[in-house]
Parts: sequence; C-alpha cells; structure tokens
Amino acid sequence: MTEPVSFPRVPRVGFAGLALTLLLSGQPVKLSAQPTASQHQFLDRYCATCHNEKLKSGGLSLVQADLSRPGAQSELWEKVARKLRTGMMPPPNVLQPADADRRAILTWLETSLDAASAAKLNPGRTETLRRLNRTEYQNAIRDLLSLDVDAASLLPADESGHGFDNVNVGDLSATLLNRYISAAQKISRLAVGSTQSSLESDTISLSADLTQEDQLPGLPIGTRGGVSTSYTFAQDGEYEIQVSLMRDLAGVVSGLREARSHEMLLLVDREPVQTFTISKATIGDEILNEKALKSRITVKAGPHNIAVTFVKEGSSLIETPRQPTHSRFNDRRHPRTAPAIDKISVTGPYGAKGAGETPSRRRLFVCRPTGQNKVEEEKCAGAILSVLTRRAYRRPIDKSDVDKPMAFYRQGRAEGDFDAAITAALTAVLTNPEFLFRVESDPKKVGENGVYRVSDLELASRLSFFLWSSIPDDELLDAAVRGKLGQPGELEKQARRMLADRRSVNLATNFAGQWLRLRNIDAVNPSGNLFRDFDDNLRQALRQETELFFDTVVREDRSVRTFIKADYTFLNERLAKHYGIPNVYGSQLRRVTLTPESKRGGLLRQGSILSVTSYATRTSPVLRGVLVLRNIVGAPPPSPPPNVPALDESTMAANLPMRERLAAHRSNAVCASCHRTIDPVGFSLENFNAVGQWRDLEVEDQPVDATGALPGDKEFRGIDGLEAALLRRPELFVASLTENLLTFALGRGVEHYDAPAVRKIVSGAQKEDYRFSSLILGIVKSVPFQMRRAEMTAVAAK
Amino acid sequence: MFLTKKAIPRRTFLRSAQSALALPLLDAMIPAATAWAQTAAKPVRRLGFVFVPMGCDQARWTPPGQGKLGELSPILAPLKPVKDQVTVVTNTRLPNAYPGTHDTSNSAFLSAASAKHTESSDYFSGTTVDQIAARQMGRETQLASLQLAMDLNPLAGVCNNGYACVYQNCLSWSSPTTPLPSEAHPRVVFERLFGEGGNADARRAALRNRTSLLDSFTRDIAKIKQRVGVPDRVRLDQYLDSVRQVEREIERAEQAVTTNKMPDLDRPVGVPAAFADHAKLMFDLQILAFQADITRVITFQLTREQSNRTYPEIGVSDPHHPTSHHGNDPVKVAKIAKINTHHVSLFSEFLQRMKATPDGDGSLLDHSVYLYGSGMGNPSLHDHENLPILVAGGAATGLKGGRHIRYEKGTNLANLHLTLLDRVGIHLDSFVDSTGKIEDLFEQIEVA
Repeated sequence: MTEPVSFPRVPRVGFAGLALTLLLSGQPVKLSAQPTASQHQFLDRYCATCHNEKLKSGGLSLVQADLSRPGAQSELWEKVARKLRTGMMPPPNVLQPADADRRAILTWLETSLDAASAAKLNPGRTETLRRLNRTEYQNAIRDLLSLDVDAASLLPADESGHGFDNVNVGDLSATLLNRYISAAQKISRLAVGSTQSSLESDTISLSADLTQEDQLPGLPIGTRGGVSTSYTFAQDGEYEIQVSLMRDLAGVVSGLREARSHEMLLLVDREPVQTFTISKATIGDEILNEKALKSRITVKAGPHNIAVTFVKEGSSLIETPRQPTHSRFNDRRHPRTAPAIDKISVTGPYGAKGAGETPSRRRLFVCRPTGQNKVEEEKCAGAILSVLTRRAYRRPIDKSDVDKPMAFYRQGRAEGDFDAAITAALTAVLTNPEFLFRVESDPKKVGENGVYRVSDLELASRLSFFLWSSIPDDELLDAAVRGKLGQPGELEKQARRMLADRRSVNLATNFAGQWLRLRNIDAVNPSGNLFRDFDDNLRQALRQETELFFDTVVREDRSVRTFIKADYTFLNERLAKHYGIPNVYGSQLRRVTLTPESKRGGLLRQGSILSVTSYATRTSPVLRGVLVLRNIVGAPPPSPPPNVPALDESTMAANLPMRERLAAHRSNAVCASCHRTIDPVGFSLENFNAVGQWRDLEVEDQPVDATGALPGDKEFRGIDGLEAALLRRPELFVASLTENLLTFALGRGVEHYDAPAVRKIVSGAQKEDYRFSSLILGIVKSVPFQMRRAEMTAVAAK
Repeated sequence: MFLTKKAIPRRTFLRSAQSALALPLLDAMIPAATAWAQTAAKPVRRLGFVFVPMGCDQARWTPPGQGKLGELSPILAPLKPVKDQVTVVTNTRLPNAYPGTHDTSNSAFLSAASAKHTESSDYFSGTTVDQIAARQMGRETQLASLQLAMDLNPLAGVCNNGYACVYQNCLSWSSPTTPLPSEAHPRVVFERLFGEGGNADARRAALRNRTSLLDSFTRDIAKIKQRVGVPDRVRLDQYLDSVRQVEREIERAEQAVTTNKMPDLDRPVGVPAAFADHAKLMFDLQILAFQADITRVITFQLTREQSNRTYPEIGVSDPHHPTSHHGNDPVKVAKIAKINTHHVSLFSEFLQRMKATPDGDGSLLDHSVYLYGSGMGNPSLHDHENLPILVAGGAATGLKGGRHIRYEKGTNLANLHLTLLDRVGIHLDSFVDSTGKIEDLFEQIEVA
C-alpha cells in the first residue's frame, strides 16, 4: 500500500492549457532546460509504477504530467522535488534509483523551477490585517512605555496555524476587542501612575510542584525556596504584601514539623525589610492564621524586586526515611521537610503620593508642563503624543494622528489633572487599530505580474516583528522614513544590529519555543510513580537550557550545524544531576563544556525536546519521529488518515515493548505507509526516557534497541547515528529551519512558490558555513520578505 | 410595522453564496419577536453546553432500554441524584465532522458544519447553535454569551494536521469565520462578569471611557478601509460588528452598575492546581453568571481534543489521548471509561448545585437547559457515530427528564440543535443537516 492523501489530483495539462499558460505568462519560454530521455526514463522507472493512471497512488498520476516545463506546474513538481530530495520517495519497498541519478534529476528539476520562478516572481501575499498577538503586544508595550506587563493575564491565548501563533491573527471578535480595551486601560494607569487609580491587587503564585528545599535562581545564597520577582508599583505609597504558605489537601501547612521554627524573609530590592518566624508553636493549631504573614512596605513608584524566601537551615536537616529525591512537593510520596511559599499578593497603594519618577514616565513624558498654564500644557501634551503615536503606529504621523488622542486628553483634563489626561490619551493610542494591527496595503501602482516591493515602513515592521517580535526602534524607523532601507547594505546593517541587540532573544523564546515546541513544557506532567524526581525546578531548567543554547547560536553567530551537534550546553546543579553530569553546582544555569560520555550536546539530546515529545508514562517514538521529520528534516509525514483504522490490540500482550507494539501497527498496510518512515526516526532516540534521561535498558531490563533510519538513508544506531545522518545532508536541516523561520517571519504558511527562495537562501548560507546570520540575512533579502503580490492579481491568477 | 414569523433559513444563504465571505447573521434570519404567552408554555431561559473530548466507551455509557430512564450505566451512575432531570439521547451522529479528526469533532459539535481543510486564515466552519441562540437570548443581558474552557495555554504543534488550531480550540463561532476565544482563568472570567471592582462611580466612568474608545476605534477603522481592497473591507466590517456587540454589552453593564451587587464570593486569584477544583470553580462561575443574569448562554470546553491530561487522582496515570486509541484493549477501554465517569461526575455535581440554587418558582436547574456531550463517538475509530449526549435541567421549560431517547438509526445531532433553538424562540426550518426535531424531548406546547 502506498501513502495516502499527500498529492492533490493533478490537472492534466493538455496542449490547450499549455498554450493558455504561455499566453498568460507573457514571457518567452526558455527552451534551454528541455528534459532529456533520461529524465523521462527516471520517472517511468521509479515513479510511474505507482503514480500511473491505473493506480494513482496518493491520488497522483505522473503519466500525463508535463515534464517539458515544470514551472507551469510548479506546485506539482515542487512536491515531487521535495519527496525526492528528502528521500521520502520512492518508498523503501520498491526499486531505488542510484544516488547520482536521483541527484541529476533533482538538479535539473530544481534548476528549471528556479528559472521559471525568476522569470515570473511570485512573492505570495501576506495578510493585509494582522493583529499583534500576545507576545508581540507585551514586547511592544515594553518598548513603547518601558513597562513590563504579563500579556498572558491581559489577553486570551492566540491560535496557531502552520505551527506558529502569528499566522492566524486576522480576526477580532468582541471578546478580543473587549480584552484589548481592558488591557489598554490597565496599562495606561500603570504607565502614568495616575492618581485616579484605585486600589489594585496582584497575586504571584508559585507552581505547586516547585521544590523549595534549596536556594532558587535569583535568590540570595543562604536562602531556600520562595520567589523573586520584578513588580511595577503604580505610585509612591504604601503597599501590603501578604504571603500564603503551601498546604496539603487537608489545609494543613506543609513541611511544618514539631519544635522547629523557620525564618521567612521579605526583601525589597534585595534589602530585608521584615522577618517572620514560622513554627508550630507560634501558630497554635495547624490551620495557620496567615494574617500574621503580612507586611506594609513603603516604596517609590516603578519596578522593584520583591522577594520572599526562607533562611536556609543548617545541614542538620531531618531526612525522611524514604528514598531521598531532589523533588519535594508531594505530600504522600516525598513530602516537604520545611514550609514553602504558595503565593504572595501585593495590594495598594495606600496613601498614594503620586507617581514620582519611573522608567515609564521618563520614556513617556518627553516634556513636563511647569505651572498651570493651559496653553503650555497642551503644547507639552502634543509633544508627548507626537512621539508616542509615531512609535506606536510605526510610521510618520500627521496632525490628525495627534488630534484624536488630544481629544481624549482634553476630555481628561476637564475632569482631572494633567496626568489623568495623559492616561486617557494613552488609552486611546493603545486601542487605535493602527497600533493593534499591522496593516500592509497595496500601492496604487504595482509592477509587472501584479507584484510589488513593500514600502520601507512595512519592511521595517516586517524586520522588527521577525527579529524582536516587537515594534521598530527609533533608529530603524528613522532609516525607513528616510527611505534608506532600499539602499544596498543598509538593510543588512540594520538586521545585523538588531540581531546583536538583546531583543533578538525572542528568536529563542518565541520562535524556537514554537519550532521545537518548548512552550509545551509547562503542560508536561510526567507520572509521579515513574519519574518521582520531576518537579517545576527541573521543568524550568529544561526550558532554559534549550533557550540559552539556541541564543548562543544567534549571539555568537555560529553555524546552525551547532543545533545538531555541539560540545557544550547550559546546566545548573539540578539539571546536571538529572543528566548524570558531575561537578556542576548552584541554581543558576551556566555554560558547561561536555565530554562524549555525557551523552549530551545538540538539540535532540536536550531533555526539553525529549519530554515534550513523550507521554506522562512513556516515550513516544511517533511524536519524536514526527517532530524530527517535520521540523528538522523538512519531510513532513502526511497527516494521519482520517477515520483512523482501528488496530485491534485486545489480543496483544499488555507488556509488549514499544517497538513490537508499533511493529504490529505497521503490519496494517494503511498505517505502514507513513509509520515505516516515522517510527525508525523515533526509535533512534529510545535511549532517552520520557524525561530525557539516558537509559541503556528499557522496561523489564530489556536492552534498548535504538536502531533507526532517516527516509531514503541507511540504517543507523541511536542518537549518534541520527546526528551523523543529519549532518551528512545538512542542506535538508538548513532548508527545514529556513522554512520555519520564513513562516514565522512572514506570518503565513510557506507555499510551493516560496521553494525557489528557500533554495536560494540555503545555497547562499552554505557559502558561509550556514552561519545563523546568513540564514537571517538570506530571508531578509528574499523575494517573499521584500515583496508582496497585489490583490487583483491574486484573483486573476485563480 | 409588519411582523412575520417566517424565518429565512441561514443555510440557503451559505449555499448560494459559494464564497468564503462571512455572512453576518442578518436580523431577517431571526424570526420576528414571538409573544411567548401566546405560543409557548415557557421558553428556555438559559442554555448551556458542556463539551468533552474524544468520545467515550459506549458500552459503559449507554444505559439499557429506552423510554423511561431506568438503571443507569456505569459511566452515568454519578448522575443518580439528578436522574429525573436528565435525558440520555443515544445514536446521534455528525456527518459533517467527517473525515474523522479531533479538529472537526470540536468544530462540528455545536455547528454541525464541515470545516474547511486549511491551516491559514481562510478557515471556515459554521455559526454555532449557542451563538444563534444568543442572538435571541442575549438581547437583554450584559454579555450575549460566555465561552469557557479549562486549558490555559495553547500547545505548539499539536493541531497542525492540516487544520488551523481554531477548529480544535474554539467551541463557539459567531459566524463561519469568527471563532470565539474562550477563557480558562477564573479571575479573568470573574472580572468579565463583575467588573474590576471600584465603586459605582468609578465603574460608570470606566464604561463611559470604553464607549468613547469604541467610537474612536470605529472612525479609525473607516480610515483604514479606504486603503484596502474589497475582501479586507469585509473583514473590517466584521470588526465593526464586534464593536457593536461590545457597545451593547457596555450599555447593559451601565444599567447594571446600580442594580448589580458584587457576588458573595471572593475574587478568585489563581488557577487551582487540581483539575477537579478548577472545573468546579468554572462551573461555579456559570452559576454566578446565571444568578446575576449577566448572560444566558454559556459554552464550556471541559477538556480539549487530543488532551494528554492524566488523572492520577482517579487512578488513570496514562494520558487521555493515546489511551483513547484503545484498539479494544480491555485495560485501556476501562481507563477511558474511568475518565468518562470522572467528567460526568463533575457535571453531575454541577447539576446538583444548580438544583440547590433557588430561582423563580423553582431551581436554577429547572430554568436552564444544558447539553453535555462529545463530537466523537468511538475514539479508537475516530468516528462521529453514536455520540455520547445528555440533555439536562429545564423542568420549568417542559424538558422531560429521566428519559432515554434511543434512535434505531443514526440521527443527525443537528436535530437536537434545531429542537433547542425552537425552544429558545428561534423557529428555523432546518439547522445545517437536520432532518427534523427531536420529538419527545420536551412536553408538547399548548397554545394558551
């Protein structure tokens, strides 16, 4: 049986159709790349035995397909090229072409497709209206107002398409609109620190499975557990900090033992401001009245570090008789030995004394009115709003842009003071569609074939949202306004500057978070019975390891080959113990040079990726295989067939090893067509258990069989074999990474007409040893990034 | 004014339009206002929908016999305390959910429509039954409808089998192109219902401010409209529909500022760590919303399709999704039944709390109708046959409880949606692929 549903039915292009296409293209056809007999022969021999009129495997017949001008059927031939390139076709159970023959036809095919594309550019069409998603909104607020907000608590989650959450962002339901308005009101009050703001309360909750027995990242040496966080106070004044402790199901404070007391510290900007003593004696019965764990602090407006933690007791810790584990949060299995913090809430301001000096006010108030002169005040408000709207709307502004928020200013000033009026105007700017949406519109005149170069301003936004997931900064915006981005060298200069800027960390957190599914790690909850050492401390370390590792490739401009094979990674003590690597101490992750015995180095050996592709109780070779094929090799297996054929497992032994269970799966012909490519990739990672630890033995002491293979390649063993196979054909991985970056950069799916651009980026990057910047610059200079197809031609083309 | 009760079936528009343009639900599609006293005993006053993913173990779900609901099946056993307020509907199907996927199980559940196979922004499904009901039932309330869920963070890369994630995550669609985001954070839901606190003057001022912001937003949209093409103008018109909806909500919220008191419940802060606690809180918020009459239509996704949640608290430490591909392995099937039972028990506890909450001449449960079920039948087959479906509450609206309606032949779920809409006061000739109404669900209405 062959694979289902991957090819669309091919339109038979007869002579008439061909002539029509010729007319439409308006281009003389280059006849230099005529197919030779050998290409026909290749198709006849290796493809048409299944893809013929009778069998139409996968809904495709190549018998009548026109080989003379692949560009006229680029969608079809790009698919054929991808299948040949990645080795997905021909399938392993049929006659295989010699490598040289495969390469020859591929080269011919790709050359023809590239030439056809160059003769008639199709940059694709990005959506006209794209709403800032959660991440972009949060970053934009940070860059616009020097204010850190948690957008996840302000806006609903974004929905993904093509693997990224910046693709399907064209909608604006009433719910969303409501939330954007609420967010704008809240943010404006916080940024200005307007005295009209009433008492507000925020709660910082700690994860229930956070172990708090040792020092945690960001907290001083000599402490244990707790939390350290940056909190923005709206105004100078008094705030109340209330601490709650973790409790068990019966409501009893966890980790509180007889005759021991614990010192809990409240620190503001790293200075202790209050000490609490917690012991069974001081609280009488176990239902602790937490009113005692409350403190009033006086702070200046703006961001401050708030930390609540415990003084670390000596080493005379009473060990529980059970097997010691690193994780201690589970009341039954491995209970806490000392109290832990559940949440802290901040309420205030009491006795507000105005906004004082904050980073947000410094950024926002480019001038301050002196005295009560109304004219002077208005002039100042105008200046503030001019700077603000230009940054917020990412373009030069005119009078009407300022007039609108000015109306809100005047209304606000009539009812309140200058600050209150600026708050009202700021709210109006933050709810303006020109801030909330990225708008790309067709120019009046478009070029040949209805394609055009996007404006410098649109290009600037494309660049900043790609590299920073945020709005352009003044320097980029200035360059765009002066029309410099079209100059050779300037775009590259800007891109390099932006890559070097700290904000490009978004490529690690936002792009890689989705490309490698790191985001899903918060949903990873391995079975406590099987993986008793898994806790939030480990979860966060796993995520950070991959983010920091990815970031070094960006920052040090390494070859992206480093993603596959590296001799370093980032570890803290907890993660090092998890991996069995000695001599790493402390809670902070740091760069560690690895030896081969460590079994680490390279993305596919990192616990984060191995965990998000596992289930709670076991690994999933299928999930791992799909991730590698789809996002690393660029050979996405077709979706599972709808109406999955049921596999009768009622007769299968319950303890059958995974490999044999999947083998039974593959004995079903429909399943086999895909699983024979998916499963072997996943099997090669079987030396890593469901939380990414190395194992030589599988269940019941059976040695792990990590034999695997990539499509169209020789069998190999384990992660070493997989990495070697990937590095033998680095262009496959690089193309796949490029496609993912391009999807993220454009905010649309990568289509067949983008394939020539991808090939150009990859071959250009090859000359620079696939340095990270060579991919980024390749994308930035590419046709789909710089150009756009106009609306009318989109209709005409169909 | 001339009032007619002839409604234009919505699907005729969609069929003839043959385009990917979203049609706003025209007022013409809503039948003329019906004087209830003349036609119906009592309309359904509140409507709720609870979605559970990945079907069920049908052998342990389906109760024996038909007609009067006798002995409860193992999965439905937790419903015992409210048995006389529950009707089990057996053998319904969703033909438009094929080809069978998790994405379409969710998107077809309330729309009965097929989902366009795309990962891009051209997604297209159908207006869901709750949203059509909300056009009528939401006319007087502050929120026309409320969308709730349990999963806080969207997962990367799990719904890219060629379908955009909206199909799998959004239960409610206000038009075929407008999926509605849901909210899983109890505090955010609370603030949507009761505002962010402050005294009456502050709340009123905040609402006035919102109105001006919306006016300004509308003017700016008009400006953008001038520089985009026709398809994008249609999209901008959809934004303006949203503006109008928010404006209506604000109007009603302003009226409520003086009348509505803050509920006697602490503002929820975080998200409870335990699934059952979180679910209970989300159910409690539904009771609050109904009690304060802030909304009359609610959808609640108790878990999403393809969820890998484990339930160690009930002895299932295996993830839900892979276990649901049970291949008739009796051990796995038993685990699925346990999860199904757990979900039903959470729903049952909710129904019991509704029953204990007085409302008018009866309980909140008497005056509310809840549909509970899944868009998938047998998860191991990924089919959409013999769906697990319950209809609960509604005694005051003529909903006959304690019954088991069992169809011999698979009957389209849309028949149930059509029946519910009818009882809400929206009398459509058909709903998507409906073939009729479910006849003996409600008491026959006597014309007074």
